Amino acid sequence: MVRTSLVANYAHGAAAAVRASFADRTNFILQSLSMVVNNGFMLVLWFMFFAGFRSVGGWKLADMALLIGIIMSIVGVAGIVFGGYRDMAASILSGEIDALLTQPRSVLARLLSRDSYPSAWGDLGTAIVILMAFAGLGWRDLPWLAAGWLSGLVVYIAAAVTFASLAFWISGARSLARDMTEFVILVSTYPGSIYSGASKLIAYTLLPAGFVVLTPVRLLRHPSLGTLAVVIAAAMIYAAIAAGVFHLGLKRYRRGATPVMGV
Amino acid sequence: MSSAVITVQDLRKSYRYASRRGGLLGAIGGAFSPDYKLIDAVDGISFEIAAGERVAIIGPNGAGKSTTLKMLSGILEPTSGDARVFGLVPWRERKALAYRIGVVFGQRSQLWGELPARDSFALLASIYDQRGAAFEQRLKDLIERFELAPLMGQPVQRLSLGQRMRCEITASLLHAPSLLFLDEPTIGLDITAKAAIRDFITENAREEGQTVVLTSHDTRDIELVCERVIVINQGRIVVDQPTDQLRRRFLAHKLVTLHAPSRRVEIALPGVMRRASEPHLDVFEIDTRKVRVEQVIATALEGGGIEDITIEDPPMEEVVREIYAVAHD
Repeated sequence: MVRTSLVANYAHGAAAAVRASFADRTNFILQSLSMVVNNGFMLVLWFMFFAGFRSVGGWKLADMALLIGIIMSIVGVAGIVFGGYRDMAASILSGEIDALLTQPRSVLARLLSRDSYPSAWGDLGTAIVILMAFAGLGWRDLPWLAAGWLSGLVVYIAAAVTFASLAFWISGARSLARDMTEFVILVSTYPGSIYSGASKLIAYTLLPAGFVVLTPVRLLRHPSLGTLAVVIAAAMIYAAIAAGVFHLGLKRYRRGATPVMGV
Repeated sequence: MSSAVITVQDLRKSYRYASRRGGLLGAIGGAFSPDYKLIDAVDGISFEIAAGERVAIIGPNGAGKSTTLKMLSGILEPTSGDARVFGLVPWRERKALAYRIGVVFGQRSQLWGELPARDSFALLASIYDQRGAAFEQRLKDLIERFELAPLMGQPVQRLSLGQRMRCEITASLLHAPSLLFLDEPTIGLDITAKAAIRDFITENAREEGQTVVLTSHDTRDIELVCERVIVINQGRIVVDQPTDQLRRRFLAHKLVTLHAPSRRVEIALPGVMRRASEPHLDVFEIDTRKVRVEQVIATALEGGGIEDITIEDPPMEEVVREIYAVAHD
């Protein structure tokens, strides 16, 4: 028996989730279009803002477009390919992982690949337009963009998995995990110059918007190997924390010590 | 060498929970200094299951049967004791064991509701590393055996509960497991669908020499599918014996409810006992070893005026209570 690789298996699961999200065509179109409208509205507000103030703490319109483009594309790809992160806490609390534990695969990978959201296509579509039209990027920026974007995606998913894993300890973690993940997105949509002191500390630790978008933006605007090392290290550290917390929680679940466990 | 597929020795599982105190102050106090209590969900059970056996684990709600199944399928770790499934320790060798067992949870689905079953089957094939001509042939055989061909292209959420359960069981058989765990496989199904699922499980187990371990609340599941019954109550084994023996003593009863607005129904037959009587409604317990159900119905209909008839098995809780009482006499 030849084992299917983790990546091939993940791709199989994620592809099935994407097909499932296409199943109701009207719902798919409505959700993705409404996200485009929502994102477009936010962009128009920033356009109006920058029409009056040329810059915010050194951040210009192109920098904001880059920041918004990166966070939207991260949220878009996460929602399409790793969509299970959004309801992971609920899956843990409802005992849905029992069935996954009887399969010969990573429970975390199976949880992440089991959902895909139509609205995420709206995020991704808007992000591509914003990045191409307003972010002031050239071909030479692409390698930096790829590195910064990928590390931002890893940090974002890792933070969401860590928050969702609280469900192994806390029965009310479903809304807590969602709120915390929404906070990361919220903090990621403002220029980095507005954060200082405690808010900056939070943005670079608990709600790691700093490593999801702000450091990747700095990498693109002022490329350096030092900043590249920081984004890669951040991605590795947050991924390790997420994997560690999830597996500690899973061990607890398998000992029957979670908030909800039927007899 | 023992031919046992499953060996369980003094297996125990305790859950700790924080006891709730009454009142607002109690709730606040409990949040800071919780009183922890222990529940012994499984309290030292031991048994063996041989290859090819079909065994039911039954008991009332909270008896510990699902916990037992979860420990044997590698989901839960026990508090103490030992269990081997195909020589593997389930909670330590979860992934290796997963290739050899199939698991069906009656109240959970492993299929994508929005997609046709064939898409979920393809994903499960990839999860279990099944591919090539051998797998295609197996899938073809299963589709043929369980008459799934007309259902394969329909989104699972549009199938009836019975059709969906047939697909769930097929999904659990794709990797040709030698052992099938079924947790309440007929829950929520109508009589016809239940019968189809029972045939489905039994036929497959016979053809493939598969071992089946099943939990259910429906005594008919046990009678028609399993040849051995393990009764658990409060985490302990009360009875472990062949279904035939159990059937003779405890599963030979039916409850017949008759709705007759115009009269009180009287049935004077051996083996018929009145269980309850309310205005317009009479409930009789029938001992099927002494009288046939159709004979009871025919006698009741002779008097006329009956508007509705219900035939049921006694609730599992009642059967287990009776078994428990006899076992402790």
